[in-house]
Amino acid sequence: MKLQLKNILISQFITILILIVLEIVSTGILPILGLQKYSIPFNILVVLFLGFKLETPYLSVLILVVQFFHSFFSIEGWEMGTIAGIVICFIISFLRDLIHFHSSLATMMVTQIFQFIWFVIVSFLLYLKLDTLDYIIDKFWRFLPESIFITLMAPFFFSLFDKVWGVGEKGLLGDES
Amino acid sequence: MKFLEGDGAKLKIALNVIILSAALWGVSRRDVSYTETTAFENAMIDSFAPMQKSVSYIQEQLSDFVEHYLANVNASKENVDLHKKVKELESELFSFEEVALENIRLKDLLEFGKGVKRRKVLAQVVAWNANSDFRVLRIDKGIKDGIKVQSTVVTSDGLVGYIYRITDSFADILTIVDSNNRVDGLIERTRSHGILEGDSNSKTQMKYVTTTDPVILGDLVLTSGLGNIYPKGIRIGVVTRIEKESHGIEQEIEVTPAVDFSRLEEVVVLVSDEGSDHKMEWEALDDPEHSRKN
Repeated sequence: MKLQLKNILISQFITILILIVLEIVSTGILPILGLQKYSIPFNILVVLFLGFKLETPYLSVLILVVQFFHSFFSIEGWEMGTIAGIVICFIISFLRDLIHFHSSLATMMVTQIFQFIWFVIVSFLLYLKLDTLDYIIDKFWRFLPESIFITLMAPFFFSLFDKVWGVGEKGLLGDES
Repeated sequence: MKFLEGDGAKLKIALNVIILSAALWGVSRRDVSYTETTAFENAMIDSFAPMQKSVSYIQEQLSDFVEHYLANVNASKENVDLHKKVKELESELFSFEEVALENIRLKDLLEFGKGVKRRKVLAQVVAWNANSDFRVLRIDKGIKDGIKVQSTVVTSDGLVGYIYRITDSFADILTIVDSNNRVDGLIERTRSHGILEGDSNSKTQMKYVTTTDPVILGDLVLTSGLGNIYPKGIRIGVVTRIEKESHGIEQEIEVTPAVDFSRLEEVVVLVSDEGSDHKMEWEALDDPEHSRKN
């Protein structure tokens, strides 16, 4: 099945709308509940879905767009997440035959593993910039609960995004087989 | 290699290389002191921030509704009217108390820093940053309200941070507990200078204070006024932990901010009417012109 550019644009638009709603809820409600220390990185969830389920040359552009919209809600900018996203997609392209999402447990495990890889990549970039491990250790303790929350939510959101992107049981969207 | 195979492989490689290069260039160029926004970014932030504000408002209203009405659905029928009346009165009273408390807070805020010769703009906190690596607040005032980038933000309790990013109607504050923020601080009792850095954990670390300085727990830390961002004498916090190493020349000092960031609702932005070509404190200290002036 070939993935048409028009389909990509529509699905990407809906995905961005979902991301915006999630970011608004995350940045507006969690602080009121007294959880300023944590925030739910829904952008990572979206990028991981794109990496897992899409096989298109425009994948890096889609990741860039997701990160660009995320940057309106965070001062971290779009750059680091884009680098992490593209590197992760590169890794996924080698491991694709080993990854499946046939059960919720498998989806959660894969999501947790790749979130950890995301953490390693971003931490490496931060270490290059800051030259200190203290910040990264502190970040790791925040990463644990945040990533577990994302992992638990992954089966639900992946099924939602499957519908948005029209990914069927047969395989990847845009796969030529 | 699978990544390099298939239809459109060349396009994929080209796009990956271009975007990765741009992102790496962006990471290396990213300035932690402040950022300029494009017209598109302005439009996007100005569109999303009211929604963030609405979410907070809806959540507050729902809590209010649950507290004041749903909890009473099982009240006996005979007392419904009476309860309703009592609840209305309580609700009214609660609103008055809230207004009174808000008035006290706002009065404190406006009274704060009378000596500081800067224009004061009152603002409401509408959201926090979407990434827990940063301690950034979004407020409902922007360029239209006369706020400038790098304006100091305070409450009646003390220093909050400075304006990092701004649009027409909203602004992002880099708080003092963010690890990218640096404040030149002064211990009130001993007049010892140091640099305060956020540790992303609702605390700040005061660095470069020598072991010979007799700092004790509970010492008050103020802004020193060095550099161009923060006026002198604003309360930052109190010393809550001191570690001295026998072989070190500096002591590790933890300062707990005077501002309770978990309860922040309103802030005051201190806007300087001088030129907007601010330099960060460390840049200003390096500037020979600035050194001559001081």
